[in-house]
Amino acid sequence: MENKQQKIRNFSIIAHIDHGKSTLADRILEKTRTVATRDMEEQILDNMELERERGITIKARAVRLNYTAKDGREYYFNLIDTPGHVDFGYEVSRSLQACEGALLVVDATQGVEAQTLANAYLAIDNDLEILPVINKIDLASADIEGARREIEDIIGIPAEDCPAVSAKCGINIEDVLEKIVTDIPAPGGNADAPLKALIFDSHYDSYLGVVVYIRVFDGRVRAGDRIRLMAKGTEFEVIEVGTMEPFGLSRADELSAGEVGYITASIKTVGDTRVGDTVTTAENGADEALPGFRDVHPMVYSGIYPADGARYGDLREALEKLQLNDASLVFEPETSVALGFGFRCGFLGLLHMEIIEERLEREFNLDLITTAPSVIYKVKLKNGETVMIDNPSAFPSPDEIDTSYEPIMKATIITPTDYVGGIMDLCQERRGVFIDMKYLDTTRVELHYELPLNEIIYDFFDALKSRSKGYASLDYELKGYEPSRLVKLDFLLNGEVVDALSFIVFEDRAYSRARRIAEKLKENIPRQLFEIPIQAAIGSKIIARETVKAMRKDVLAKCYGGDITRKKKLLEKQKEGKKKMRKLGSVEVTPEAFMAVLRLDDDN
Amino acid sequence: MTTDMRGLYVHIPFCVRKCRYCDFCSGTPTDDAIDRYIDSLEAECRLYYKDARPSVDTVFFGGGTPSILSKEQFSRVYRIIESTFDLSCVSELTVEVNPGTVTREKAELYRRLGINRISIGLQSIHENELKMLGRIHSYSDFLSTYRLFSELGFENISVDLMYGIPEQTKDSFRQTLRSVIALSPEHISAYGLIVEPGTPFFEMRESLPLPNEDTERDMYDLACAMLAEAGYSHYEISNYARPGAECKHNLKYWRCEEYIGIGAAAHSYYLGTRLENSCDVPNYKRVQSIDISFEDAAYEYAMMRLRLREGICLSEYRERFGVDFILGKEKILSEYERMGLLVLEDDRLCLSEEGFYLSNSVLVSIL
Repeated sequence: MENKQQKIRNFSIIAHIDHGKSTLADRILEKTRTVATRDMEEQILDNMELERERGITIKARAVRLNYTAKDGREYYFNLIDTPGHVDFGYEVSRSLQACEGALLVVDATQGVEAQTLANAYLAIDNDLEILPVINKIDLASADIEGARREIEDIIGIPAEDCPAVSAKCGINIEDVLEKIVTDIPAPGGNADAPLKALIFDSHYDSYLGVVVYIRVFDGRVRAGDRIRLMAKGTEFEVIEVGTMEPFGLSRADELSAGEVGYITASIKTVGDTRVGDTVTTAENGADEALPGFRDVHPMVYSGIYPADGARYGDLREALEKLQLNDASLVFEPETSVALGFGFRCGFLGLLHMEIIEERLEREFNLDLITTAPSVIYKVKLKNGETVMIDNPSAFPSPDEIDTSYEPIMKATIITPTDYVGGIMDLCQERRGVFIDMKYLDTTRVELHYELPLNEIIYDFFDALKSRSKGYASLDYELKGYEPSRLVKLDFLLNGEVVDALSFIVFEDRAYSRARRIAEKLKENIPRQLFEIPIQAAIGSKIIARETVKAMRKDVLAKCYGGDITRKKKLLEKQKEGKKKMRKLGSVEVTPEAFMAVLRLDDDN
Repeated sequence: MTTDMRGLYVHIPFCVRKCRYCDFCSGTPTDDAIDRYIDSLEAECRLYYKDARPSVDTVFFGGGTPSILSKEQFSRVYRIIESTFDLSCVSELTVEVNPGTVTREKAELYRRLGINRISIGLQSIHENELKMLGRIHSYSDFLSTYRLFSELGFENISVDLMYGIPEQTKDSFRQTLRSVIALSPEHISAYGLIVEPGTPFFEMRESLPLPNEDTERDMYDLACAMLAEAGYSHYEISNYARPGAECKHNLKYWRCEEYIGIGAAAHSYYLGTRLENSCDVPNYKRVQSIDISFEDAAYEYAMMRLRLREGICLSEYRERFGVDFILGKEKILSEYERMGLLVLEDDRLCLSEEGFYLSNSVLVSIL
C-alpha cells in the first residue's frame, strides 16, 4: 500500500485566463500517451461546447494518467482541472485541496496577472507545492527571464530552474512531467484509518445518477459501503467506485488513501453532494470533517422569462436540466406583471449568469428576457427584523427601513502603470475605497480596493478592460456587508409601474441612472397612438421624466387596384409584429426593446 | 350594388426616364418595344374580353407615362379598347400625363377621342425637389401643359403632388400647394413619399435628407387645411376634389367594385376573381387568378372602404357579408372614437382626418 501511494501525484494546473492552462493539459495528456495525438480533440478537459468556444474551463474535471518517468518507474498522475474564473473561487479552492501540488502557468509574454496571484495564494493557503511553468516561449515577445523574475519577486517562490515550455508547440513538456515526479510530494494518509474523502466535484449522469469526484485522504471506500456525507449527515450505499480515465470512468475495486476517483451511490441530484463536503463511512466514520467546507450561496440574482410566454414549461425543464449538473444554480418561480411567468435565478457571479443564459438559449433554443442583475441586500427593518433581499420588488418601502446593507468585495486589480489613473478613476466612480497600491515591478501595479458588488456587476469588468486596453485583470472576494444608502428605483409607463424594470441602487446614483434609463426607454418604445409619459420614481417621488410622443404617421399613402394584395400583406405583417409585443400596462413594447433598456452598459 | 358596369384600367409601362422613387412596372422603351407592347394589349383583349365585350363606364390610361405614346400609338390603343369593350356608357376617360411628354397634337388627339379627364404629374413646383425625385420636367413645363389642356377645353384636370420629398420643407410644400390651388384644378392628389424596396431611393435611403415623421405629418396637416380652405373635399387619404369631381374610376377600387386592368402588371377584379398580369414588357402574361374568399373580400372591403371619407356603409356591409361589422369590436371602436380617430354615425363608420394618417394602426387593431 505504501508503495502505491508513493507513485501517485495529485496536482492541478492554475493560471490566469488565456495563459495556456488547457493547452498544457492537452500536451500532458498527449505525452503520457494516454491519448493518441490524432484522436485527440483539442482540450479534452474542457468538454462542454461553450467552454471550448470561450476558451475557459467552467467546471472542474479530473483525469488519471500513467507516466513512466526517467527513473524507470511508472507513476499515476491525477490531473485535477480547475475553473478559471473569479465566480468559481470556492470550487477552485476545493480542487486545490484535493492536490499536493499545482502547476502555475505563467504566460511569458504577459507575466504575472491578477488571477495568477489569486490562484497562487489559494495554492499556498492549501499548502501545495507550487511548480511554476513558463509558457508560450515560442512567441517572439516571450520574456522568459522577466517572467521568472516576476514569479520570484511577486509571488515569492523560486523559479530558477522552472520549466519554460510552449504548450502549443509541444516544447519541453517532458521537463514538466519530470518535475511533477520529483517536486510534487506523494500523498500521505493512512489507508487503515476511518474514511475521509473530499468531494471536489460531481456531475449528473442519466444512467449512474450523480457521479461524485473524490480525493481519499484516509481510509478506503469500495462498492457496498454505507457512506455518510458529513455536512448534512445524509447516507448512501456505494454502488461503484473507480477512476477517471481520459475517455471515461473505469471501475475499480476500491479507492484508498491518496487516490483520486469517483463513487456512485444512487444520489439523485448534484445538490445532495456539496463540493468541499467530506465522505466517511456510516459506521466507524471519521470524527471530524476535512476543513474548508462552505455552503456556496449565489451572489447575483436575475429574473429570467421566456420571450414567448407559452414556453414557460420549457424554461423550467431547461433550468432543471442545467441544475442537475450545477448545484450553484438556484431558481424559483416568479411572476411579473410585465413579463408574465418566469424564474428568479441565483448565480455565483456575472459570468456564471451569462453562461447559464447562453446555454438556455443555445442548448434549449429559448428566447429569454432577463431583468437587470441584482445582488443580495440586507435590510434591517425598524421593527427589528432583518431581511435579505434578492428581488427589487421585495425591497421594503423607505419608511420601514432602519438600515440597509450591501455586499462589499475585496478587489485586486493588476494593471500596467499606464492605466492606473483611469482605473483609479473608475474605482472612484464605482464607490471604491482605496486600500493600497503595490508596484510589482517598474511596469505593473497591484491595486487593492473595496468595491460594492452592486457596482462590480454593473459592467465593471468591461469598463476595466476598456480603460486598460484589455490589460488589467481583476479578482475579488466577499469582504462582508456594510451599511449603505440604498433606494428602489421604479419606472412608470403611462402612470403604471413596470415591475420588471425596478432595481435597487445607491441613492446618489439614482438620479443619473433614472435619467439615462428613462431616455433609453424613450428611444426604444415605439410611438403609439397616444402619448406615453415615462417616469422614474423613488417611492412616490418622481425623479426623472420623459415622453414618447404619440405616433403621427402610419398610413399607406397609395392604394389602388394593383396594390391591394401587397398592402394587405403589409398590414398582416404589422399585425404579426403587434402580437409579439409585450403589453406593459397599456403600452406595447417589443421584447428586443425591453432587453435594450435592461442591458447594462457603461453609459447607463 | 349589382351593376354590370366596370372600370377599365390600361397600363402603359413606359417612361422617358424612371423616377427615383418609382416602384411601378415601367421603364424606358427600346426600339419597337411600344409597338410590340400594343400588340400584346391587342392579344390580351382578343383572348379574354372580345367575346364577352364587357361594358365599362370609366377608362383610365395610367402608367408609366401614357403620354409618351405617339399620336398613332395612342390612337391604336384606343381603337383596340373601343373594339373590345362596350364604351357606350362611359362617363369618365382619364389619361395620366407627364408635362415633359405632352404636345399640342397629342392633347388635341385626346380631346378628339373624348378623353375628359387629365391627370398631370407635377409633384412639386421646386426645381431642386423635382431634380431630387428624378422628374424629367420643370415647373414651367407643367404650367405650359396645364394651360394647353385648359385652353383646349378640358374641364376636369387633376394635379399630383408629393410631400415628404428629400430636401422638402413645410414652407416649400406650402408654396407648391398655394401655386396649384391658384390654378384651381378640379382634383388634387397629394401623396406622402414612400421609399419602396427596389427603387434607387431605397438603395440610398440612409443618406436621403428625408423630412422626419413629424414634419411629414405637418405637411399632411397643411395639405388638409389649405385644400379644405380652398374648397376641396378630402374624400380619400391622399385625394382631394371639388364637389362632384372625385375620380370615378379610382372610387371603384376603394369601394371594392369590379374593374378590368389590361397591360403589364395590371390587376383586375373581374367576376369575383382577382387577376394579375406579369410585368414582362412587351410580352406580359396573365400569371395569377385568385378566387377571393369570403373572409378576404370582407377584409379588403373594410381596408379599402376606410380609405374613403364616406367609410363603411354598415348596412351594405351587413348585406354583402351577412355579418355586423361592429359586432365584437364595440370596445376598441369606441376607444378609437374617444381618441378622435374614428367617426361612427348612423349607418357609417369612417376614419377622421387624424385617423386617416394613422390608419394602419387602426386597421391592424380592428380587422
